[in-house]
Amino acid sequence: MADWSRYWNPKNETMSRDELQALQLFKLQKHVERAWHKSPFHRRLYETAGVTPDQIQSLDDIRRLPFMTREDWMACQAEQPLFGDLITRPREEAIRYHLTSGTSGRQPLRVLDSRKDWSWIAEMWCYGFWGIGVRPTDTVFFAFSYGSFIGFWGAHYCCEKIGSLVIPSGNMTTEQRVKQIAEMKPTVVCATPTYALRMGQCAEQMGIDLKKECNVRRVVISGEPASDPVKRLIENMWGGKACDTAGMTEIGTIMIFEADNQPGGTHIIEDNFIEEVLDPETNEPVPYGEKGERVVTSFGRGFIPLIRYRTKDLVCKVPHTTSDCGRTWDLYEGGILGRVDDMKLIRGTNVYPRAVEAIVREYPEVEEFQIILTREDNIRDEITVKVELAPDKEATWNDLHPKLGKDLADNHEGLRFNVAKADQGELPRFELKAKRLQDLRDQ
Amino acid sequence: MTQIDLDVLGRPIDATEQELLRIYGDLKSLSERTDLAPCALMNVRQAMVMLWNACCDLDLVFEEPEHD
Repeated sequence: MADWSRYWNPKNETMSRDELQALQLFKLQKHVERAWHKSPFHRRLYETAGVTPDQIQSLDDIRRLPFMTREDWMACQAEQPLFGDLITRPREEAIRYHLTSGTSGRQPLRVLDSRKDWSWIAEMWCYGFWGIGVRPTDTVFFAFSYGSFIGFWGAHYCCEKIGSLVIPSGNMTTEQRVKQIAEMKPTVVCATPTYALRMGQCAEQMGIDLKKECNVRRVVISGEPASDPVKRLIENMWGGKACDTAGMTEIGTIMIFEADNQPGGTHIIEDNFIEEVLDPETNEPVPYGEKGERVVTSFGRGFIPLIRYRTKDLVCKVPHTTSDCGRTWDLYEGGILGRVDDMKLIRGTNVYPRAVEAIVREYPEVEEFQIILTREDNIRDEITVKVELAPDKEATWNDLHPKLGKDLADNHEGLRFNVAKADQGELPRFELKAKRLQDLRDQ
Repeated sequence: MTQIDLDVLGRPIDATEQELLRIYGDLKSLSERTDLAPCALMNVRQAMVMLWNACCDLDLVFEEPEHD
């Protein structure tokens, strides 16, 4: 086996922070200059804010630039269908068209990419997959439906670029996918965390022991926040390390990945992105170790310049020294922690769905769950966690029920949670982004 | 393409990086031509963006090649 570098790009993944920041500034200046000249959307934003490209003289000057929001983007697409005046090149020069997933229930954003953009998109996945430990000798299975949602598309091309054997599972059913995994024995499986669990449960029902009968070294997860208990559950099912990645359709690719030393967080690909973490109310930067909203500037996509884009993702940045892998890129501790607007206030206590999931996933008997918020007598908010047990774990309900309720309360300042039992097959299953919260309070 | 001795941060570049830059420059020039057969032009453009990736990763260029 070849003696590969552990880094996809040793030069930039280990460069000094001073050099990295100089590189970011150089790219920022060029990128803003180009956006000013080529994107009427950006020109308008900057002129309204009274800022010109020549005012970007230091990295701190990024804060002179106005934010770009999803709402602005949607509005420009509505005013000038289909793509608005954000794009820098004519549609005829694009080679790919994709949409946001639509999970927010709003009009999806439409994105175009050039041949170069698409190659860059795969390249960012290469940083991640290589760091996770994927090599040319690997066989990579994609549990992904290959539709308009960008999802793992870039990862597929990344694996072709790396030289791995790619197995695209397209529109297969979960059972067909599990059968193919058992037959082809991929060494890497890619899925959302929810769907990795779903395939694992399906394999159990089919009498297939993935851990014993397959050779999976890595489960690459993306598309949803993944807490540590979820990752451990996936690892117990599959036998390989569960490594987190996260991206967004708006940038076309991933901006963070969890390297194979699993340092408790995800490295930011800082030679291609500037990731600010801001207090979502004051818009002031928060220091290392504090949670805030990530605001992204991406240097790779030429068709759609993305500069200071407010993501509403909740993150906690920590210094690169948190990891011992040698990369000089900072990390997001725990990856994407949720959404800044995810938090629910229940009888005076803050509840984050991801924190509830982390507790529920400590119970392997639970196969699926939903969080349901209701308002009783028009005044009292109630939170109910409805759980569906694995088919062979029904007998555990009487023990599990009070214990889970106590764990949830203990982790939420004593807030009382109702714990209810769902029938077999009652709760929805997901392949892409799971929706496990129903807020019925204003209905 | 004239020889470039420094990367985008002004650091010296080595012989391998010089070679990558030269090939990228050649492919970029070919990508702009209109007299190539489709089988040549489209494959050249595909190759050009791959070299763009390598050169951009190594901080040798930072630009939009446009004729991709």
